[in-house]
Amino acid sequence: MIQLIPHIINGLTLGLLFALIALGFTLIVGVMEVINLAHGAMFALGAYFAMTTIGGGWFAGTEFGTWWLSLPIGVRYAVGVVVGPLLAACAGMVLELCLRPTYGKAPLYGLLLTFGAGLVIEELIRHYWGTGEQSLTVPQSINGAFFMAGLIFSKYKFFAAAFAIVAIFGVWAFLEKTPYGAIIKAGAHDSEMVRALGYDLAKLRLLIFGFGAALAALAGIAMAPIWGLRPHLGIDVIIPAFLIIVIGGVGSFWGAVIAAVLVGLAVGITGAYAPAWSMLSMYLLLIAIVGFRSRGLMGRKSALEN
Amino acid sequence: MSDAKMITLSDIPAKGGSPLTLAMGVFLAALATAPWWLPAVGLYQYLGIEVAIWLIFALGFNLLFGYIGLHSFGHGAYLGVGAYAFGLFQQEVAVSLWGGLVAAIAASLVAGALVASFISHRRGIYYALMTIAFGQIFWFCAIKLHSITGGEDGLLGIPRPDLNLGPISVSLADNTSLYWFVAVVLGLVALGLWRLANAPLGRVCQAIRQNEMRASFVGYNVWWIKWIAFTASAGIAGLAGGLFAMAQESAYPDVMALHQSGLIVMMVLVGGGLVSFWGPILGVILYFVARDVIGGITETWLLWFGLMFVIMVMVRPEGLAGVIHVIRTRIGMAPAARATHTKEA
Repeated sequence: MIQLIPHIINGLTLGLLFALIALGFTLIVGVMEVINLAHGAMFALGAYFAMTTIGGGWFAGTEFGTWWLSLPIGVRYAVGVVVGPLLAACAGMVLELCLRPTYGKAPLYGLLLTFGAGLVIEELIRHYWGTGEQSLTVPQSINGAFFMAGLIFSKYKFFAAAFAIVAIFGVWAFLEKTPYGAIIKAGAHDSEMVRALGYDLAKLRLLIFGFGAALAALAGIAMAPIWGLRPHLGIDVIIPAFLIIVIGGVGSFWGAVIAAVLVGLAVGITGAYAPAWSMLSMYLLLIAIVGFRSRGLMGRKSALEN
Repeated sequence: MSDAKMITLSDIPAKGGSPLTLAMGVFLAALATAPWWLPAVGLYQYLGIEVAIWLIFALGFNLLFGYIGLHSFGHGAYLGVGAYAFGLFQQEVAVSLWGGLVAAIAASLVAGALVASFISHRRGIYYALMTIAFGQIFWFCAIKLHSITGGEDGLLGIPRPDLNLGPISVSLADNTSLYWFVAVVLGLVALGLWRLANAPLGRVCQAIRQNEMRASFVGYNVWWIKWIAFTASAGIAGLAGGLFAMAQESAYPDVMALHQSGLIVMMVLVGGGLVSFWGPILGVILYFVARDVIGGITETWLLWFGLMFVIMVMVRPEGLAGVIHVIRTRIGMAPAARATHTKEA
């Protein structure tokens, strides 16, 4: 039984990171009723941006680049964690601008456009960073392993879990405790009314998309040392993200978090017994849960059902 | 939703069920002469086979996507199931063309029927999401069931069995004769689907797309029709898969991945499957020509195809067939679509 503990911890870490990805996704679905299939591409893009920032690839060979590389890795990592999501947010906003012609049409078109955009971003990554697997450097202090009760644990997994928990609570506090969060929630509930009250809906959508992309990028940066960086990371990660949304219920914050942790645990625990089949467990979880609760754990009615 | 803003299949008046239309004639003529003009325009015979197979897949897919309006994003799975079934039949049972194709169709019909039973009560995005999940399960099983499917490498060395028609036996080993076989199958599938699309069942499918609840109030069993449409289009995908396994002489899990399932959606949409029976054909041809022509110029051809797709969705989501229809309306060759007064932005 005790051998299961590392698997449960792996599963929890995975689940918390999935939750971070899914939150950006559900925010966009909730407010804009767009299934953003490019969300995974934002995840990959954020991680690649952070990698290049940390490695100084933007200004390699210049004097600034040399100075930058002489800084301690901790500082560079911290800057990367900020710059990566910011750049991804810009990409997300560009995507939102492209999406504008699809508003008011069937949700299918938003989904198709973002699928195409995801493909384009993946190809751009392949073109710019190459097809090979790359890695994101992390500071020594959060790297490596430690022993506890005779079991070996990876330090980074604990760091990533803590990182995800802080980020999730940050998002929660932002949505629940700030006036901006109130506008976003109101927009998810009834966007026409928000517009009637004088808020600029176009700007709100732009910011939501940027915010969602930044969250995906944060998750990507935290996930990159575990999964590695490869161009098709986006496709690999978008599937768990939408499974979580469907299991948790579209537009529900805690639904997404709970579903993500469930999925993470399912993958982690099946990983202990049948590692090759661990990813299948999430599909089975989906079919089991959605078979009984068609709107997921905490879902409410949405225009997307039409 | 607000589909009414855009032209759809139902807005372009159909000419009844007769397959003797100009478009069908052009299509069949192009199909019948391809072995002569393909090399003449700098292409090669194998491309013809590939395009024809994907056309079978796309036409069957559009029955679901364009006519009944159910957006499956996991349809590559059924192509893959068909390909594996064909390969396994050749390797485990007997080297037989008809046996293999029947096995391919039967396997994907069963897979499609099973999935359809789970998802036919849904619609919209939830339907799309569930098809992705099921498609991924098939893909995942194909990779992991190593002893049956050969894992990531797939089944290799699938033979191209001879075509047996009673006393006559023809070898399909070379690409030209295989092209003829695939082209005949495609012609039959196209004629059959054209009849089906213009038969009462096709009309009911369109009614379901426009308003599912209204269709059920009129008295149609919507669940059952959605089930039939999904199962049938999975079966046609399986037929395409069997031919694909024969053309490639192998079956591998790549065709079942989300990527490929998304590509067929892209092809059908770019071509205009939402507007015309012939839309998927334009889309598939455009995709393969883009792959070979742009792919010959730059390695990043998928980037350009993706960009083209994104722009198409932004400015004219009805696809190429929609563009053609608008042009024909402008120059007065076609009756105006009923919905043109609320033209899309």
